[in-house]
Amino acid sequence: MSKSLVYESGLGSLLAGLSFEKEPQWLADLRAKGNELHKKMGVPTPRNEEWKYTPLRSLASVNWQTGEPGPAVFSQDPTHYAETAIRVFLVNGRFDRNLSEVPATSGLTCMSLRDAIFERSEVADYLGSVAKIEDHTFAALNSACFVDGLFIHLKAGAMIQPVIEVIHVTSGDEMVIAPRILVVAEENSSAKIVEQYVSDGESKNLTIPVTEVILRRHANVEHVRLQDESEASYNVSLWETLQDESSEYRAYNVAFGAGLGRLDQNIYLNGRNIVTRLDGVVVARGEQILDNHTKLDHAMPDCNSFEIYKQIIDDKATVVFNGKIFVHQDAQKTDAKQTNQALLLSPDATINSKPQLEIFADDVKCTHGATVGQIEDTFRFYMRSRGIPKAEADAILVYAFAAEVLELISDDVVRERLEKRLYKKLGIDFTV
Amino acid sequence: MLEIKNLHAIVAEDDKEILRGINLSVMPGEVHAIMGPNGSGKSTLANILAGREDYEITQGSITYLDEDLAELEPEERAHKGVFLAFQYPVEIPGVSNTYFLRAAVNAKRTANGESEMSSMEFMKFIREKVKLLGLKEDLLTRSVNEGFSGGEKKRNEIFQMAVLEPTLCVLDETDSGLDIDALQTVAAGVNALRAEGRSFVIVTHYQRLLNYIVPDFVHILMDGRIVKSGDKNLALELEEKGYGWLDNLAASK
Repeated sequence: MSKSLVYESGLGSLLAGLSFEKEPQWLADLRAKGNELHKKMGVPTPRNEEWKYTPLRSLASVNWQTGEPGPAVFSQDPTHYAETAIRVFLVNGRFDRNLSEVPATSGLTCMSLRDAIFERSEVADYLGSVAKIEDHTFAALNSACFVDGLFIHLKAGAMIQPVIEVIHVTSGDEMVIAPRILVVAEENSSAKIVEQYVSDGESKNLTIPVTEVILRRHANVEHVRLQDESEASYNVSLWETLQDESSEYRAYNVAFGAGLGRLDQNIYLNGRNIVTRLDGVVVARGEQILDNHTKLDHAMPDCNSFEIYKQIIDDKATVVFNGKIFVHQDAQKTDAKQTNQALLLSPDATINSKPQLEIFADDVKCTHGATVGQIEDTFRFYMRSRGIPKAEADAILVYAFAAEVLELISDDVVRERLEKRLYKKLGIDFTV
Repeated sequence: MLEIKNLHAIVAEDDKEILRGINLSVMPGEVHAIMGPNGSGKSTLANILAGREDYEITQGSITYLDEDLAELEPEERAHKGVFLAFQYPVEIPGVSNTYFLRAAVNAKRTANGESEMSSMEFMKFIREKVKLLGLKEDLLTRSVNEGFSGGEKKRNEIFQMAVLEPTLCVLDETDSGLDIDALQTVAAGVNALRAEGRSFVIVTHYQRLLNYIVPDFVHILMDGRIVKSGDKNLALELEEKGYGWLDNLAASK
């Protein structure tokens, strides 16, 4: 890659200071590969097509340090989105034993990834097997420098009832936090996972998580991810899922936080009869830039994927949506539906929406629709005629626009608490 | 209660004159039916009363409870007891009827210097209204009009009217697109809400609805003017003869 396509940044030099002694060879190899790839790809400029609308200049200019362990107490307790007995805290990318509560649950492993690397031999097979770090410079950097993270394993047939809540807190300033999450759901297992990324106060960090999820045959996983870091933060994430035959994966991305947030979320449908949901709610205000790149990769026949992305953009914020759907030649009878709707609340708000369908099979149903709109006067008048003042009418309409996605979340408590958070993000007084 | 004098109005977008000198006086407790052919301006009149911004009043006045109605925002009119049942009610996915109505009721109470209703009080209050109109309780948890049939939407309009307890109820072609069962439910709802201090202006194309809601007065609107007024028998006459026989009357005005 030529020099003009990357910014000068100190991120590469961080790696020189890191040493990971006594780690297994496969991991040393992964780190070396990540290191090499990140050095090669650097921090891309907008001249790189994949990063065209994600301006990284200011990110590249920060004097980033390696992530230190975080404090034991935060300026504010993070919201608990689930009513559950299983709660994991990762502080600055490290599994926190004191804050986490993981009662022994039949069929479930939920532990520090670092420990799992040494204690669970299967981690060697899974870690790095899904994430394509050669396509993502920050995921490559994560591979080179992650210290810890989370390993969730569902035994074959295990149906985990309590929601698994994962709270990522970043604390301190100008640090690179690189959590690594590995989820393996064996055959016929099921679970619900709710992850949130939050900052301790107004911390300004760069969070670069890599999440790999593997669903074996007939596994069923619902996975909610809330990105709610401070607006001083940068969050650049890679989240990739591999699905086997007859599995069902429902992924909900809720992006409210970070000054600059970028998520690449890719799902590989690698067997027959798979069901996939890949939905998102994005709310950007002020000068936030929130960019979501999604990819649904249909490799096999008879699979259904549904994608609804809703974005609300106010003030001078910018939102990007790039939704790729690949339907390979073998993937006959694919049914893929993609909808992208943006609501602009300010004349200075920006949306860049790019659906990208590449279909190589001939017997498929693939639809996509992208709309950009404002609050319609007929809706507003209807509410005002009932006595609801204009500002409140607008707030309710905006809320309703986003709630259509949140409504799909199956756990009542999680859904209601996320709705409350949405109200707050939109500046609505929550009354019912 | 409502005094409309020489009302002229245009469509704001293209300056087309729709109302050309309407005069109408509604006393407390009266039911007035406004009938007229398509394009006569009857829906425009209903929407202007509620404050839709697509129209502009160019002449005349609307006085409601001694106030100049045209000066008020749509929500202020609602707070003072004006209600419009829409011809095409809007679907609001993601907002439950309960949430929507509580926001509306509390906005009205706040504007009138009353305290807001608590969640408990409000639930009790709207359950009574559901019962009064003989509706199903699942209406409360469903999103406002989302996926409702035509009849369900119109019933929901009447339900909202019952909850908001307006003083002036304006019904804009509430009977259009309804089968006979839905029509009867809607009419029964309206009749249940008839009260001494509450007036109705019912805009309709057909006489059918007036079999069930018996009006005190019937006005025929043509080409932006009321060309004839009478009692309920005028509606029957219209049903028999159609609007054609009034063409000369409209032209001479």
